[in-house]
Amino acid sequence: MTTLEFTGVSFSYSPKRFMDHMSFSVAEGELVGLMGPNGAGKSTILKLAAGILSPKKGKVLVGYRAIGSYSGKERAKHVAYLPQILDLQAPFRVGELVRMGKYPQEGSQTLSVEEALHLVGLQGKAKTHLAELSGGERRRAYIAMTLVQGAKVLLLDEPLASLDIKYQFDLFNLLKAIVCEKKVSVFMSLHDIGMGAMLDRLLLVKNGLTVIEGVPGKVLTDEIVRNAYDLNDSIGVYMAANRTVCQALSVASV
Amino acid sequence: MKRDTGSNFLVAATLCVSSLIIIVVSVASGPRLLNPFVMDSETCRTLLAIRLPRTAVALLMGGALGASGAILQGIFRNPLADPYILGISSGASLAASFGIMFGISLFTLSVPILAFIGALATGAAVVILGHGWKGLKPERLLLAGVGIGFFLSAVLMLVMTLSVDDGLRRAILWMSGDLSMVDWGLLPVGLSFILIGLALALTRHKGLNALTLGDDIAYSLGFNPPRERLYLFIAASLMTAASVSMGGVVGFIGLVVPHVVRRHVGSDAAVVLPLSVVAGGTLLCFADAIGRTVAAPLELPAGVIAALIGSPYFIFLLGQRKTH
Repeated sequence: MTTLEFTGVSFSYSPKRFMDHMSFSVAEGELVGLMGPNGAGKSTILKLAAGILSPKKGKVLVGYRAIGSYSGKERAKHVAYLPQILDLQAPFRVGELVRMGKYPQEGSQTLSVEEALHLVGLQGKAKTHLAELSGGERRRAYIAMTLVQGAKVLLLDEPLASLDIKYQFDLFNLLKAIVCEKKVSVFMSLHDIGMGAMLDRLLLVKNGLTVIEGVPGKVLTDEIVRNAYDLNDSIGVYMAANRTVCQALSVASV
Repeated sequence: MKRDTGSNFLVAATLCVSSLIIIVVSVASGPRLLNPFVMDSETCRTLLAIRLPRTAVALLMGGALGASGAILQGIFRNPLADPYILGISSGASLAASFGIMFGISLFTLSVPILAFIGALATGAAVVILGHGWKGLKPERLLLAGVGIGFFLSAVLMLVMTLSVDDGLRRAILWMSGDLSMVDWGLLPVGLSFILIGLALALTRHKGLNALTLGDDIAYSLGFNPPRERLYLFIAASLMTAASVSMGGVVGFIGLVVPHVVRRHVGSDAAVVLPLSVVAGGTLLCFADAIGRTVAAPLELPAGVIAALIGSPYFIFLLGQRKTH
């Protein structure tokens, strides 16, 4: 079942930077990565999916309905979005922040604030001020808020960016678990090729256009990645290490 | 530091008790010390005609400024925002000064009414100018407010430079917060607008919290950020306009009281808004009681006293945070 679908979406901030006829879909219970060089349009795609931006042409559908046709609260039950840049000055304590995830559906039994904090490894920090946390901890607090919201589609803009290796893996496992158990769909942008290799599917974009879409083994080949990111040299050792992972995964996914 | 619902309740209870004590002190103090518990006809008359309305107005003004400050700091995501940042005080001052200096006195309440109209007209102009194609965005609204504020201040200075009579001194007094002309006539209208503004703000407290996290997250949580910002701005404008029209421009409270409250109870608007009302009202009431007592019969402006008492406490709290 498809939960998020772009059909022929065009959008532009200015004549120079635009996105043309973007079409793809994310199925229920799928963990899809969005990759591409800086300025490729990753954040724009996520904002279009969240309904923050409206397409000039085409449709963004969530649960087979145009995202723009939902009321605020209905939309928040379907889609949760976490931007790449989080406010460093937000004056809240961790618990206050995470509890805001309950605003769209007050009193829902989905996930309690304490459970969410436990899931992201911030148990016992509910009363800590956000300003007193490290960048990675603050990111995890926001992710806990997003989880508490209980939406069917999670749109995460570079959620791994400020996390150390342990929490990158922990967050990956956490997302994998909620995708499997709760049939939530996750659509996230990322830069780490190694992490990308572990997702269900990847969408590689460049200059507002889809380069390729498919399982990591198909997308993350030396040639495609070098072309997409305009690399001069072979990504050699790094990719060699990853290719084995990719192959293992693509074998597994067949 | 204890930080939970229990300790928030303790803070609220302490604040309310101090507030009651200060109300009694305020009613009793002035050029002549009254014992509010022993009534004779003279005491009764002073209480009813002078002390009670003045205490009530100080409470209302301070409360309105505290809540407005808390709202504006949230919707602009700017800790330096205060009720006057959007030129509302300049608009009120200009209108009131015209009234005072040119002796417009069709009826007794003309200066408060002029100030109220000036404040609301400025607020409306700021919203209209601050409204871009994406709706009410904080940066644009802030710049529109600062721009209009500077323009109105310039016009005000021009008018004051060209005026020479006795009205000038009274206009300056009014602009630094003058509660000496207060009587019961001001209260019903002021109270109504403050209650409307406060009720509007309290019903939008979730929107205020969400806006503090930025428009994108607020949107993701199901809010319409420009609309929430507009409602909250209207609430803050009504309260500020009512406050300015009752007793002129009192600074400091709207800027600092919300910060002090947050230091004690966290930043949830559902707690911060009502406690900023109580703390702001109490502080202004206390400051006004001191201002009209220490140098009697000379009156010191309540805003000045509030800043003199409040700033050291605020700086003390800042220092405490560092060691925490």
